[in-house]
Amino acid sequence: MKQVYIKRVLPFPRDKVWLALTDSGHLAQWLMKNDFEPTVGHRFTFLTKPAPGFDGTVHCEVLELDPPNRLVISWKGGPVQTTLRFDLVAQGAETILELRHEGFQGLNNLLPRFFLGLGWKDLIKKKLPAHLATMA
Amino acid sequence: MGHVAASQDAFRAIADPNRRLMLDDMLFQERTVGDLTRLLGVSQPAVSQHIRVLKIAGLVSERRAGRNVFYQSKPETLQTVQDWIVKYTEFWNARLDALEKHLQSMD
Repeated sequence: MKQVYIKRVLPFPRDKVWLALTDSGHLAQWLMKNDFEPTVGHRFTFLTKPAPGFDGTVHCEVLELDPPNRLVISWKGGPVQTTLRFDLVAQGAETILELRHEGFQGLNNLLPRFFLGLGWKDLIKKKLPAHLATMA
Repeated sequence: MGHVAASQDAFRAIADPNRRLMLDDMLFQERTVGDLTRLLGVSQPAVSQHIRVLKIAGLVSERRAGRNVFYQSKPETLQTVQDWIVKYTEFWNARLDALEKHLQSMD
């Protein structure tokens, strides 16, 4: 497994799904706050909660825009520089959505394990207070 | 406590691109300072200093064999590519659930 691949059949027409994927306000509703514009070359950010080792900003650029079939953006969050693709195929009144998030191989993806997930939470919640309690 | 200090050291350790390169190179095989010097194209003292920082952070292990010292990344302390893919697969599945809900609420 070298990429994220998810295929879903959405019971909605393709134009509607396309709008949800390419309108800043709609993206904010289901993904993250952003300053997306549907223009190739547009650079924008998604904003989420910061986490240790990640400032909460995902830096993106619109790489490909083929309404209402395909959207490709670059995706750089923390040390991870990747590419995100959405492909839409109409199937009657439904839409087949394929999501591919790829480019994870490479050097910059290494991170100490405890920067993400439960290890870090445990550190902040238990070990740090325990440490503070021992400090005079 | 040691854990807090170690995490701060690790954060500093991986902030340097050469050290990330070294960690990646040492992930699946042992390397000597000489190997790493050739990999990075920097001086041997510079590589030794990088190794010191990585060791303090608990990110590499050391094995001595005669006059040689071999270093290797400690995979249990590193987030690997597979971890990222698993993490993002969970993330996108949750986001696409949110997309479906949002589509239902759109006019």
